[in-house]
Amino acid sequence: MLTQRIEIHKLWDGDNLILGFSIGGGIDQDPSQNPFSEDKADKGIYVTRVSKGGPAEVAGLRLGDKIMQVNGWDMTMVTHDQARKKLTKKNEDVVRLLVTRRSLEDAVRQSMMQH
Amino acid sequence: MEEYDVPSAASILASVKEQEARFERLTRALEEERRNVSLQLERGSLPSDRLVGGTTGGSNQPLAWQQMVMQEQSPSNQTSLAMMQEPQEVVEETVTIEEDPGTPTSHVSVVTSDDGTTRRTETKDNVTNMKVTKMVKTVTTRTVRQVPLGPDGLPLPEGSSPLGSYTDSIDRRYMKNGERFITPQATSTLTRSYNNYSDSYNDAPDSQFRHYTLHDGYGDMADNYGSLSRGVNYRPYRPYMPTGGYRPENSYTLPIRKDDYGHVAQPQVPMGSSTMDLNRSQPERFQPEPYGLEDDRRSLGPDDEEPYDLEPDYSTANRRTLPGRTIREPLRNGPRMRGYEDPIETELIDERHPYIHGMYPAPLAQPERGSLASLDRMGGRRSPSIDSIRKDPRWRDPDLPEVIAMLGHPIDPVKSNAAAYLQHLCYENDKIKKDVRQLKGIPVLVGLLDHPKAEVHRKACGALRNISYGKDHDNKVAIKSCDGIPALIRLLRKTNDMEVRELITGTLWNLSSYEPLKMVIINHGLQTMTNEVIIPHSGWEHEPNEDSKPRDAEWTTVFKNTSGCLRNVSSDGAEARRRLRECEGLVDALLHALQSAVGKKDMDNKSVENCVCVMRNLSYHVHKEIPGAEKFQDPSALQGPGSAGTQRKKKDDAGCFGGKKAKGRKNGEHDKNYDTLDLPKRTEPTKGFELLYQPEVVRLYLSLLTESQNFNTLEAAAGALQNLSAGQWTWSNYIRATVRKEKGLPILVELLRSDSDKVVRAVAIALRNLSIDRRNKDLIGSYAMRDLVSNLPSGQQRPAKNLEEDTVVAILNTIHEIIIESSENARSLITAQAIDKLVAINRTSQSARETKAASHVLQTVWSYKELRNALTKDGWNKTHFQPIPTGTPKGSRSCKPGYDDTTLPLMEKNQDGYSTIDQRDKESKYKSSDGSSDLQEREPLKNDTNRKHYIRSNRPTVSLVDACDVKPQPVDSWV
Repeated sequence: MLTQRIEIHKLWDGDNLILGFSIGGGIDQDPSQNPFSEDKADKGIYVTRVSKGGPAEVAGLRLGDKIMQVNGWDMTMVTHDQARKKLTKKNEDVVRLLVTRRSLEDAVRQSMMQH
Repeated sequence: MEEYDVPSAASILASVKEQEARFERLTRALEEERRNVSLQLERGSLPSDRLVGGTTGGSNQPLAWQQMVMQEQSPSNQTSLAMMQEPQEVVEETVTIEEDPGTPTSHVSVVTSDDGTTRRTETKDNVTNMKVTKMVKTVTTRTVRQVPLGPDGLPLPEGSSPLGSYTDSIDRRYMKNGERFITPQATSTLTRSYNNYSDSYNDAPDSQFRHYTLHDGYGDMADNYGSLSRGVNYRPYRPYMPTGGYRPENSYTLPIRKDDYGHVAQPQVPMGSSTMDLNRSQPERFQPEPYGLEDDRRSLGPDDEEPYDLEPDYSTANRRTLPGRTIREPLRNGPRMRGYEDPIETELIDERHPYIHGMYPAPLAQPERGSLASLDRMGGRRSPSIDSIRKDPRWRDPDLPEVIAMLGHPIDPVKSNAAAYLQHLCYENDKIKKDVRQLKGIPVLVGLLDHPKAEVHRKACGALRNISYGKDHDNKVAIKSCDGIPALIRLLRKTNDMEVRELITGTLWNLSSYEPLKMVIINHGLQTMTNEVIIPHSGWEHEPNEDSKPRDAEWTTVFKNTSGCLRNVSSDGAEARRRLRECEGLVDALLHALQSAVGKKDMDNKSVENCVCVMRNLSYHVHKEIPGAEKFQDPSALQGPGSAGTQRKKKDDAGCFGGKKAKGRKNGEHDKNYDTLDLPKRTEPTKGFELLYQPEVVRLYLSLLTESQNFNTLEAAAGALQNLSAGQWTWSNYIRATVRKEKGLPILVELLRSDSDKVVRAVAIALRNLSIDRRNKDLIGSYAMRDLVSNLPSGQQRPAKNLEEDTVVAILNTIHEIIIESSENARSLITAQAIDKLVAINRTSQSARETKAASHVLQTVWSYKELRNALTKDGWNKTHFQPIPTGTPKGSRSCKPGYDDTTLPLMEKNQDGYSTIDQRDKESKYKSSDGSSDLQEREPLKNDTNRKHYIRSNRPTVSLVDACDVKPQPVDSWV
């Protein structure tokens, strides 16, 4: 597993500070419906969408990344809402993530399968 | 064939000797090739030895090969091999090898020992080296058989050339394997051999692409090829290579296109290597030739490169001419002409070219050649390393005009492969789509839809689906202009192939996204789609068997596509709605499907979404558009109590009825049970469009609103209720009351908290329409006000949801509707701390529509004198409630505040608000992130399982509470 640190600078979108991605998962969610997890019992927080050109994309966050930490807070055993709140604190302009992502090999293999 | 047996080893040997000289040359060439190959291929190291020795150094053949060989050895295989002989010399070799040593090395050595077969072994080696182990093997076998043929005297002259070598090998094989080969003639067997090959080839790396191309129509080809003899055989090889498991026939076409497909062509290459291989295998030598041939290439396109490969086939063919010719000739006619015309200087080349040309029509020839030649390529392409090595100028993909020309090729597999290649090229490539259109490829593809061969019309349809996808409406129009829509519908009626049906309906779905085509689709395909897809897959039965349980809907791709198409066309205005409503069985089936979804708690899928959207659209203006609707118009109800706003009175002539009168009447109604409503009596069970507005549907929509996590479904279900509760006719009265009785109001109010903008909007408007019912108005005022207000932006600060202007306006209008004629509700509004927000919107909003709508609400609030005291206490004064005399013309506002036509809620105002909704979906901001959104157009080239499916983007942040209890739905939050 590759881990990576990603620092995202929030952006004002209208009146909201946004990161430009969406999360899925959490211990209160059904992990079997997580399309990104390898282990279907994994209740971690995953990146489910990344808006084009948004701060997250710019920072290198990718679809399917699993978020391990947010500003040092563990994200592997939190509810969906707890994760969301950690990411959306109004008084923080920068969010530091520790993420893991399937190896590039896997990604390549997957993309080939889809063809 | 007959002669083969007769000649016996002795005669064969004699011929072999003669040919040896040639063989030697060839072997050297082969050796070179092998070296190249070996380099390319990891395995390659082995071959060099063999080449040198002349005797095949039984190189280490990959295990796979051995296994393959084993398969071939089986009796059936042998027969097949015999059959194959002509075409697949290589194959035979492998067989022999297996017999002898069982291991690759042994193969080589054995061969050598027998007769001058060493060369053969070499070829084998080459093949094996090539890495296309299976391919190689096949080649050998063929050679062996071919050789016998040569002796027979058929193509002897040619046989002297490379063929001769083959014959030698054959002899050897006969010697060793003779027993097995006793029945070599297996022309008929060719097919079998192909099958075997295909199995072995399954391993082939190319897999996917090749599969596509190869599969189609190849089966047919095979037979012909078998008769064709060697040339035929080669083709099979190719198929193997590319497809892996595909039939040889496919390979034929594929090889030509292989360039295009890359994969396909490659497979063929190995084939070629067997016969021609030696020559071919030596890329350098041969390359020049192809170049020289370029003229031909132009005509043939990709073929040029491959001609060499083909040559081997031809050579064999010549030898075998007698047996194979009959068959070959038909095929060759076209191609041969060309080939002959173009004399090739080199002996081998000459032979080959003629074959190539003669055998196949230009396009075909190319593929075959490609296959043969592709041996080199195959290796290369399959293994990246090889690829890099083999950037032969010779090999090139056919260009677009060539591919399109191949669509008209007389040989079906060529057509299907060309179409498949087009599909591939067009995938997510708008430029290519445009080019195909401009090159007039679309009419050809449409013409192929009527082709009797499944493989052909399937591929054509696949190409059309990809072409029809995208924002470039010109492609859609082009399909329509050449009568593509009726052709698709015809095919839908005709075919039972699910894959084809998926492609057809997918194409129709794509086409249906373009407004001008919607009516065309309705005209040609509505009833067919209903009868062929919607009804059968919905589980609905015209006359259900009372004994059996009602069938459930099946959420097939075909159903999803078709419902998506109907969803699109249902937004095309009143006439489209009328046609759909009156389409026999459609509404019944859609309702059945939805009820089935509710019953199974399976309400989040795309098919359900599509069905609900169609239902919503068909419910739009139902009170105006249903035949005989006027009978149900309720003049007294025309002005709902709530709607009796001043503005409304101005608008509606019906306003002649005093508001009070209407009110009184309504109040009376509330207390009645809705059962007592004066509903039309019916003697027959409801069916068809009448089902749209029966009170039963209320429960269905409420179930969807309660259970579904799909925002589009939620929006559509709310929109359906909104549509049904609009208007002043008996049924809408009944619907409004039913929603209340079914405890639907709390469900709707809860959805005001949804994070989806469009859901909030649809729910808000539905509440507005529902509040036409006085009792509903009271309830909504009491229980929904807080949630409505919480959706309003506070000052410049938008709420977390950041709702769109439309939604804010809708909420404001709903609030306005609720407080009209109800000071109690106005009081609730004040209690909900709304005045702050309203004043802020009124003064600071950037949106004129929001300002206007807020202003109306404020004016209405101020009009309740009994409330002014409270307002003043809170620090408000009259100026806060008066329209802001800003740049916005007051006049307009005073005249007709906003959308206050209560009877005709917002929805109705934007005519086709519903259709708009569909389109909105397409353009929704989620679209980008989630390909599956509303876009019906998918371009799954190969399989429908797009990753898009996995992205549940449609439901950004569902905070719906209820859904959580059973199974926590995946929540997805933007941050």
